[in-house]
Amino acid sequence: MTALGDYTVPAALVVHGLTIAATLATARRSRWCLWTTFVGASVAVALSATAAWLVLAAGQRIGGVLFVHAASGLVVDYAVIPLSAWFLAVLGAVSIPVALYSVGYLPHAVPRTRFAAVGIAFNVVLAALEVVFVVNNVIGFLFAWELMTLATVSLVATEHESRTSRRAAYLYLIMSHVGTGALVAAFLALVSATGSLSFSAILNGTAVSGPGREILFWLFLFGFGVKAGVIPLHVWLPEAHPAAPSSISALMSAVLITAGVYGIFRVCAFGLGTPDVAWGLVCMGIGMVSAILGVLYALTQNDLKRLLAYSTIENAGIILLGLGAGMTMLATGRRELAVIAFAASLYHVINHATFKALLFLGAGNVVMAIATRQLEAMGGLLRRMPWTGALFLFGALAISGVPPLNGFISEWLTFQALLLGFEFVPGLTRVSFPLAGAFLAMTSALVAVCFVKAFGIAFLALPRSAAAETAHESPIVMRAALVALAGLSMVLGIFPGAVLGVLGRVTTSLAGLPSAGALSRGALSVAVGSGPFAQVTPAVLAVAVLGALAIAATLVSGVRVVRVIRRAPTWGCGGLLTPRTEYTATAFSKPLLMVFREIYRPTREVEALAEVSPYFPREVRYRVEIEPTFERHLYDPIVRGVLSIAERMKVLQAGSLHAYLSYVLLLGAALLYWLGGVGE
Amino acid sequence: MNETLQATAIAVVQAAGMLAAAPLLRGVIKKLKAVMQTRQGPPLLQGYYDLIKLLRKEIVRSDTSSWVYVAGPRLYFATAVAATTLVPVLLAAAPFEGAGGILGLVGILALGRFALAAAALDTGSPFGGMGSSREMTIAALAEPALMLGLFTSALAAGSLDLGAVVRNGLGPGVLFRPSDILALAGLFVVLIAETGRIPVDNPATHLELTMIHEAMVLEYAGPDLALVEWASALKELLYITLLIDLFIPLGMATSFGVVPLAVAVAAWVAKVLVFAVVIVLVESTNAKLRLFRVPELVAVSLGLGFLALAIRFL
Repeated sequence: MTALGDYTVPAALVVHGLTIAATLATARRSRWCLWTTFVGASVAVALSATAAWLVLAAGQRIGGVLFVHAASGLVVDYAVIPLSAWFLAVLGAVSIPVALYSVGYLPHAVPRTRFAAVGIAFNVVLAALEVVFVVNNVIGFLFAWELMTLATVSLVATEHESRTSRRAAYLYLIMSHVGTGALVAAFLALVSATGSLSFSAILNGTAVSGPGREILFWLFLFGFGVKAGVIPLHVWLPEAHPAAPSSISALMSAVLITAGVYGIFRVCAFGLGTPDVAWGLVCMGIGMVSAILGVLYALTQNDLKRLLAYSTIENAGIILLGLGAGMTMLATGRRELAVIAFAASLYHVINHATFKALLFLGAGNVVMAIATRQLEAMGGLLRRMPWTGALFLFGALAISGVPPLNGFISEWLTFQALLLGFEFVPGLTRVSFPLAGAFLAMTSALVAVCFVKAFGIAFLALPRSAAAETAHESPIVMRAALVALAGLSMVLGIFPGAVLGVLGRVTTSLAGLPSAGALSRGALSVAVGSGPFAQVTPAVLAVAVLGALAIAATLVSGVRVVRVIRRAPTWGCGGLLTPRTEYTATAFSKPLLMVFREIYRPTREVEALAEVSPYFPREVRYRVEIEPTFERHLYDPIVRGVLSIAERMKVLQAGSLHAYLSYVLLLGAALLYWLGGVGE
Repeated sequence: MNETLQATAIAVVQAAGMLAAAPLLRGVIKKLKAVMQTRQGPPLLQGYYDLIKLLRKEIVRSDTSSWVYVAGPRLYFATAVAATTLVPVLLAAAPFEGAGGILGLVGILALGRFALAAAALDTGSPFGGMGSSREMTIAALAEPALMLGLFTSALAAGSLDLGAVVRNGLGPGVLFRPSDILALAGLFVVLIAETGRIPVDNPATHLELTMIHEAMVLEYAGPDLALVEWASALKELLYITLLIDLFIPLGMATSFGVVPLAVAVAAWVAKVLVFAVVIVLVESTNAKLRLFRVPELVAVSLGLGFLALAIRFL
């Protein structure tokens, strides 16, 4: 059995490779190509998820060698540690429905000639992610990391005729490479300090100490933070995620950002020795800022996919908040509390993956049906797309953190960790916990506003455009993918005890943490804390609500004298009720735009076109824009600086062959001198 | 199994009792307000008459609406009723102790709010949208203040479980701390905001541009409206009970028995009445705030929460 388990990860990679070959072979027959590539990807992902299951449920050790380069003696080995297995499980849970969905979705979103390219890139991304999560070697990690970035960039640029897609892909490429640069520097420093390329040697916490450790932490946090999409490194995310086809957006938001989270977990929290208090506080701070600003920006978006992309930033923030709280507690020696925070963070990783994939796929159905992402052009879709509407509502409720769905349980755990942190962590540090709690409370309430808006404006009331009036429900494969993800979120919400039991194996494998399984009270409940414990059983909440619903139904049907249900038009304030009299998405978020105007710094233009008298305008145009704070005040100066340096360096590029030859000569001489100098 | 049955029985009785009492609280508040204004006011039981009348009426629904419109009031009602099972009322323990504590309570009320706010958008009426947007905005602003207030009280007990908080409050020690005054004031502002009372919202008006909660449910009629009204009344009673649990649990029964329960009932009624009087005083002596002044009020509440936390624990 052990032997079989060891084959799963290489087998997954081989299947990815075979799938890519088969995709190329069938490239001209688009239907075949589509099924081949996505079924192949699903099989491969299922294999890697099996590895995750063997490690997490059966406690097997899985590891081995992926690649040997005889000439240089490079051996790329891998080890599925429980942390890797957790992220592999997340990958498996989300990407199989996404692959299924893609089969139905791509024919409507991408020209046939590009099926093969998208399919290959999809397989490469998944294979690279699998390697990133399990590899135990610096070279292998960086190689897979880069491959993942490049394949994703090509997916973002699928619709490369559009300028916005190209710009998004370019921005993503640049940001990722700056991040990767930081990672390369940091890993090389670690390698030269230890003389080993193996993760188990360089990430055991003893490799570096003193100020070097500090610098490494910041480099890694920067490098992984770009991928995780936390503020202020997020600028690429709201451009790149919506630009890709919706199923790819789902994959990017749900799984790709977790590669960054995995890195922060593996290296920043547990790879550099016991974290400093300051590191934990930095992570918490970044998490808080990302969460609150992410949701505030999401609120004002009227482009459904951009709204979801900003909400991804917010969720990355919540994940990092839990992680940071855990690091702070670990730094102050409160391991039994740290485990709650880390469990909350890891739990939120899988929760976010399920409901965000669900929401993005739901948005994909809508985009496919009406060919626009603008909320203002939707409306009334629930009647025309009942499945999509109901499932999107399900996702909206889950992400808003209401019981008994899964978003609630990870927020519950995070709040408990913060409360206990304030109680037991010594010194002024502890003030950060209730502060974070208040921010988290505000975030989750704002998320509810955001998703009432997204669901209500898109799916309810009257259609706001001709396309929305004639929308059709999507094919059954696509709906099946949504149902699978919704079912997963339901299970994750109702059985938190079982999930924590599995997480227990992950936390015990992390340096010096007790098992999170101790928090579990049977499959249905979770309890934290010593003394009078606090417990949550979402199933009881669900039963209570269902019971009360029965009371409501009895009241309504039991007391009534007149049995008929009459349908009547909505009162249109004396006029005709048309889509133009409905409340708009812009109007819905307007009060919060006004309340937080110091953050948004909105600029607005009102233009009234009148013919007879200014009091009876024929047409009123209203435009509101929020200031892109980070782009304008952080990135613009950097870009200007880089460009002006490049401008000055143009002197070197004189265009004369003689000059270039002399550079070569000078460099050659300098190298000879330097190498000779080392030789002595 | 026996314990589960017992808990369920207590939960049902408690939910039924609070459902029965909620309209009376509204009646008392209306009557007291009338007295303040030297009017006669409606009878105390008017709330019940209204509910019965509404429940007997035919159902009229907008022809643009979908099942979300039907589900809204039902879920709003159901979550309010389910929330009563998470709060200790007479006994010093919530019927469903391990269900989720304070956070479960906040979460379940958020579910009801979400359902009603979404339903309000379903008719296509601009008022529904306006009400929905404003209600959600105010709730979002009030949420951190609520959480901070709850944190402060929960920290003393070391648990976010309401039963534990109450038992801690009943235990030996100081009866009332200075920080409690600040936290109570902060949470009282949240109570006003969440239940739509003056100065945040005015439950007695249908003035087009100022209404919040009423705008949201403007399109509802008959039994649907009855559910919304009843649930709103219940939520008000629920929030008051929550404040009682957190700050003045005195008199709550720690054991089963006729005498402790009788004392607990009397104490609870008296304390709810005190809160009703305070609400009436606030409503009668204040004018409704402009919508964009509400954030300042809520910010004060948030500040009070932080001060309470600082005084108590630093």
